[in-house]
Amino acid sequence: MKRFAAILLFVPALGFAEPATLVRDADLRASPASDAAVVAPLAVNAKVEALERRGGWTRVRAEGGTEGWVRMLVLRYAGTGEAKQGDSGIVQLLNVARTGTSGTQVTTGVRGLDPEQLKNARPNAAELKRMQGYRASPDAAAAFAGHGRLEPKKVAYPKEGG
Amino acid sequence: MRRAATLLAALALAAPAQAQFNINLNRLLDAGKNVRQAAGEIDEKEEIELGGDVAARLLGAAPLVPNEALQTYVNRVGRWLASQTERPNLPWQFGVLDAPQVNAFATPGGHVFVTRGLLARMKNEAELAGVLAHEIAHVLKKHHLKAIQKNAQLELAGTALSFSRRAEDADKRAKLLAAGSELYLRGLDKSDELEADRLGVVIAARGGYDAYGLPAVLQTLQAMNPEDSGLALMFKTHPAPAERLDALERMQPVLDAHAAQPQLAERFVGAVSGR
Repeated sequence: MKRFAAILLFVPALGFAEPATLVRDADLRASPASDAAVVAPLAVNAKVEALERRGGWTRVRAEGGTEGWVRMLVLRYAGTGEAKQGDSGIVQLLNVARTGTSGTQVTTGVRGLDPEQLKNARPNAAELKRMQGYRASPDAAAAFAGHGRLEPKKVAYPKEGG
Repeated sequence: MRRAATLLAALALAAPAQAQFNINLNRLLDAGKNVRQAAGEIDEKEEIELGGDVAARLLGAAPLVPNEALQTYVNRVGRWLASQTERPNLPWQFGVLDAPQVNAFATPGGHVFVTRGLLARMKNEAELAGVLAHEIAHVLKKHHLKAIQKNAQLELAGTALSFSRRAEDADKRAKLLAAGSELYLRGLDKSDELEADRLGVVIAARGGYDAYGLPAVLQTLQAMNPEDSGLALMFKTHPAPAERLDALERMQPVLDAHAAQPQLAERFVGAVSGR
C-alpha cells in the first residue's frame, strides 16, 4: 500500500501545472501523436499550463481551459522560480535518505561546488578510491538493464555540420 | 691576420656558447616533447591518470553521498550506457556528489559525476540516463582533454615552461592539474556542449531509454529561477537551457523514434529515496 502510494506520487511526469509559453505556432492535439485530431491552433508566445509529459509530447491547458497535447520542444518555461525544489517530492525523499530523519540536512560546512569552493579544493584521493570501488562490471550493468526491460538499440550519431 | 683574430675570438667564445646551446637545446627538446604531448600524444593511460587527478580535486570540493546503494545504482545506469559507445573498455566510474548545487561533470578517462542537487530534480531513470549520456559524450569526444592540452600548449608558448605529464616533477604536474581544474570553472566551448547534447540523446536511445530524458531535464532547469545560487556554476559553464533545447530540435527524428522506450520512474525513485 505504501509502495502504491509512492507510485501515485510520482507517475505524473510533471506533477503540477507549470506556466509555459510556445516558441512558435503549434497545433493543440487531442492525443500525443502528430496525426491526432487538432483541438485548436496555438500561436507563438501563447501562454499555457504544462500538466504532464508523455514521450515527446506535453499535455497542456491553454487559455480558456482547453486541454490537449503539444510537442514538448515547443515549450519554454517561465524560469520565475515557481518550480521550486520539493515540488516533485524527491528532494525531500533524498534528504530523508541521507540523514534517516525528517529531511533536516547535515550541513557539509564549507564544501560544495560553488566556484570559490571548487577553486580552493584540495584533492581527495581516498574518495576517488572509494568511487572506484563502486564501479559496475559490464555484465552487472547488462543484467540491471535486463531487469528494467531496457533493450539496446542501434542508433547512429547525427552527421556533423548538418 | 684580422681574420685569424676573429676566428680566435670565435673559438674563445665557442666553449661557453656551446654549453649555453646545449642547455637551450635540452630545454627546447624537453619543451618540444611536451608540446607534442600537449598536442595530442597523451595516451589512454595518461588520459585516465589526468582524469583521476581532476576527479580527486572535484571530490575534494564535494565528497560522494554516503549511500552505497545509490552509488551502485548510478554506476549501473552509467556503465550500461558506456557499454553502448565506442569506448566501452575505459574504466568507467560514476559518482553522486554530496553538493546541493545543480551540476554534472566528466573528467578524462571515464570519470562522471552528478550532484545530489541535480539528481533531486530528476523524475525518472531516463532523465538520469540523459544526463550521464551527455557526460559520457564529453569523454568519448575528449572535450576536456583537448581543452586542457590546448591550455597547456598556450602556457608553453608563453613561458617556455616545460610541462611534464610525468610525475617526476610534482610542481609541473600540479600546474597541469590546475589548468584542468580551472577548466571546470570556465567551461568548455559552447559547440562541445551542444555536441554532447546531441550524442547524449543518441547514447540514451541506444541504451533503450526514453530519449527525451535529457530534453526533459533541460526543461526542468529552464523552469528554475536563474538567480538560484545553486545554478550559478552550471549556467556560467553551459549554454542557457533554452538555447540547448532549441539546438536539440534537429534531433527530433531520433527523439521521436525512441520516445516510447522505458522511463523507469519507479526504479529511480526507489534508488534515490533508499527504498
